[in-house]
Amino acid sequence: MKQHPLCTDTEHQANVLDLPIPAGLKQAWAALETRRQFLGRSGKVLGWAAASSLLAGRGLIGDAHAADMTGKQSSPFVDLKLPQFAPKAKRAIYLFMSGGPPQMDLLDYKPNLAALYNQDIPDSVRGSQQLTGMTAGQARFPIAPSHWAFQRYGQTGTWVSDLLPYTARMVDDLTIIKTTNTEAINHEPAIMLMNTGNMNAGKPCLGAWLSYGLGSMNDNLPTFMVLQTKTNPKENNQPVSSRLWSSGFLSSEYAGVGLRSGGDPVLYLTDPDGVDREVRRKMLDAVEQMNRQTLAEMGDPETNARIAQYEMAFRMQASVPELTDLSKEPPSTWDLYGPDAKEPGTFAYNCLLARRMAERGVRFTQIYKRGWDVHADVTGVLPILCQEVDRPCYALVTDLKRRGLLDDTLVVWAGEFGRTVYSQGGLSKENYGRDHHPRCYTTWMTGGGVRRGITYGETDDYSYNIVKDPVTVRDFNASILHCLGIDHNKLTYKFQGLDQKLTGPVPANIVPGLLA
Amino acid sequence: MNVKDLAAFAGRLVPDSRRTRVLWSVSLALSIGLLLLPFLLVLDGKPHADWQQFLGRFHPLVVHLPIGLLVLLPVLEVMGRSRPALREAAEFVLLLSFACCLGALALGYLLAFASGDTGAGVSRHMWGGIVLTLCVLLCVLARPAWSSGQGTRFYPALLTCVLLVLTWTADQGGSLTHGSNYLTEYMPAPLKVLIGFGLLHPKPAAGSFYARHINPVLDANCVACHGEGKVKGGLRLDSYEGLMSGGKDGPVILAGQPDKSALLVRVTLPPDHKQFMPAEGRPPLRPEEIGWIRAWIQQGASPTARQLAGVLIPEDTPELPPHPVGDYSAFMDEIQRMAVGQGAKLVPVSRQPSDGLILNTVDVAANFGDAQLAQFSKFAPYIVEAELDRTAVTDASFAILSTFTHLRALHLEGTAVSGNGLQKLGSLPELNYINLSGTRVTKAAAAQLGTMKSLRHVYLYNTPAQPESAGNLALSNTRSTP
Repeated sequence: MKQHPLCTDTEHQANVLDLPIPAGLKQAWAALETRRQFLGRSGKVLGWAAASSLLAGRGLIGDAHAADMTGKQSSPFVDLKLPQFAPKAKRAIYLFMSGGPPQMDLLDYKPNLAALYNQDIPDSVRGSQQLTGMTAGQARFPIAPSHWAFQRYGQTGTWVSDLLPYTARMVDDLTIIKTTNTEAINHEPAIMLMNTGNMNAGKPCLGAWLSYGLGSMNDNLPTFMVLQTKTNPKENNQPVSSRLWSSGFLSSEYAGVGLRSGGDPVLYLTDPDGVDREVRRKMLDAVEQMNRQTLAEMGDPETNARIAQYEMAFRMQASVPELTDLSKEPPSTWDLYGPDAKEPGTFAYNCLLARRMAERGVRFTQIYKRGWDVHADVTGVLPILCQEVDRPCYALVTDLKRRGLLDDTLVVWAGEFGRTVYSQGGLSKENYGRDHHPRCYTTWMTGGGVRRGITYGETDDYSYNIVKDPVTVRDFNASILHCLGIDHNKLTYKFQGLDQKLTGPVPANIVPGLLA
Repeated sequence: MNVKDLAAFAGRLVPDSRRTRVLWSVSLALSIGLLLLPFLLVLDGKPHADWQQFLGRFHPLVVHLPIGLLVLLPVLEVMGRSRPALREAAEFVLLLSFACCLGALALGYLLAFASGDTGAGVSRHMWGGIVLTLCVLLCVLARPAWSSGQGTRFYPALLTCVLLVLTWTADQGGSLTHGSNYLTEYMPAPLKVLIGFGLLHPKPAAGSFYARHINPVLDANCVACHGEGKVKGGLRLDSYEGLMSGGKDGPVILAGQPDKSALLVRVTLPPDHKQFMPAEGRPPLRPEEIGWIRAWIQQGASPTARQLAGVLIPEDTPELPPHPVGDYSAFMDEIQRMAVGQGAKLVPVSRQPSDGLILNTVDVAANFGDAQLAQFSKFAPYIVEAELDRTAVTDASFAILSTFTHLRALHLEGTAVSGNGLQKLGSLPELNYINLSGTRVTKAAAAQLGTMKSLRHVYLYNTPAQPESAGNLALSNTRSTP
């Protein structure tokens, strides 16, 4: 008995194929299966693996089962969601600085620029770099030296801007990459590239690949969580969308689960009055039965994802309130993160949550902080941004470190591109703007898997071009995967005739100089 | 020289004719001029005109002329006893060598001035040259009296002085150009021992503190300029011998005297100081590296000592590569059944069975106690990491855990353990990481960890055993990475 999903007539259970209609029509009806379902059927094994792993709560059972179904029993490990080699980091926290932080005002110290104030950047430096529509029409490209002084910090003697007094305290623990570079010059393609390895939407993001490749460490919280920081109206906030934490062509259960930045962290997480946990359980059991029926009929792996998500939501009803209950945090926590951390939705609060998630086995947490798009009024806005971000970053790293979690947690701080050394719009001694700059920007990592206390790569005197050791977005992502025990070339998924991977078809390499 | 001689000499010093008076006046003026030269024309360390350098560079060439003549001089004087013609020639040679000395001195001074060379080695060589020239001048003045048979031994004594000063000055000059160990570098070992060089610079022993910690620091920070390629200041820091021989400014290490050792002094100057090392904006040495160098010099700058008192470096007990565990594939079914029954699960570290299993309790932490832990004893040899944080395990777990022979990391944060019996974990040869944060572990209990050699990462945050200083949250400075 096969019923078309669009057929809502429950009284007449007659199968279309039994009707006295031409055979051609019957064939057409039978073929009325979505392309996704068709493709999905071939990927059913994976779907099953995922569902059973979540439902049974044991990755091993589900995946071993999957291996049984495919008959690939040669090694019990081949199909497991496991690192390919012993990882240095079990989990990662990604602090995403959306908008593009200005590297030469923060960590890429260029002392010689002061003397070049208001001089045009030499054409030989600018080369043929495509500019955005925002500055392409400018008659001049006057050099805007950083408004802030830099000092050397730590045993490494690393130069850090006065804007980042807290980051300065932990430079000896950071792996600063001055030569991250991208191909995109506008936000959406750049941020997609950074997160999914491709400028076009539709590809799974880093977190989804990690979930898909490594599976969950705990049953009660999502593997991949996304925290958005409340926007500050004083800042120039570019939108971030769920495309950035999408699972793309991977099953939806690998997508990032967002916590809201205000109010209830998850909507409708609390049961309505009169519905207790038992009633909720019964309801979900019934829904699951129906979903299983659909699954048996249609074989769409997305149904599995849905079953899994219902179950996850049920468990999150208990786990999220515990996660977000900060009342038991010791006073030392507040001393470290500062008073902002008590206010949900701030970057400081999100950093604290990220630490709590790390403790509770969340594989990948990504915090988005918007507002870095400083096209104008750098001296007005940048101090606000740094004040919001600097201390929490330090607090998170320090907190992980003192709790013994930094050894196996990778922390990444990055935006989608850097900013130009020349001023966008008017330049004065007091103020300037900076446009997008793809050729070099500064990011940092710390924690398990990376060489701490180094600065990697060199940029030219204008922080415009790379002089030594470039790190492409592909290399950057390949290195992150490496820290987590994944060979980026081996974590693949067949889609559209390709072995798709995070780093894409263009060759990518891990960066040995960054890795411990 | 006896008193009578001196009196006779003094008598002759009084000019007795117009000619000698002029001669003495000129000599006196010249001497004063030479002595004042370094103060009038100061070697300021800055490069000067190219033509000056061009001329100055003929100094090493010209300088050999007076050397040859001055060495010839005593030969002529001695041989002249039997062959008077030679003694006559000696006077001419003496005058010629004086002229050559003046020339070489002028060129040498020009070289130092124009190339901006300064430093103790340069000034020693310079003063040597000046003193030598003055001695030769005195010889010129003293010789007539001696040759006229007035019996004074002043001239021969002076000539001996000249030879000694010449040798010393030449050696200084040679050290400037070739490095101070140029002559002795390939000296046969027995000869070195005989002379004392062998005792001075024995070969550093493999595995010595020097080889493990001093040499690598110098290698990373100094050898770019003080190595085989570049030998700035005549100093090579790529070998123990080079380090101990010093450069053109003399030794850089004075065993037992760290504060007088130029190397340590230079690296501890403020980074913006002109003499600060490493130069050219390279990052300063790390404080612990400076500490090692200081302690090493203080304790004799030995090439063989393996350990230094009071210096314990974690790398001295190197982190062992993970020991592969046995293949647990055969137990997979059982492992899975355990997981279903327990809620806690054994998760492979990676797809390589030899990487072992992680005991993961996060989903059932509150209900996972010592009894549950005991059920995993069967898989003990395969478990490399036990995540028991926030579980209900107690001090009784230490006895069970001590059978987890491949255990490398142990999480006990937020549990009820008090540390009683922690020493049982001492039987775990690979235990590298232990996290006791948020437990009631006391200082006394934590002290038991001190004897565990493999332990590298100890976390005691938020416990009674937490060290005082907020920055260092681990057990001790030397054994952990907090």
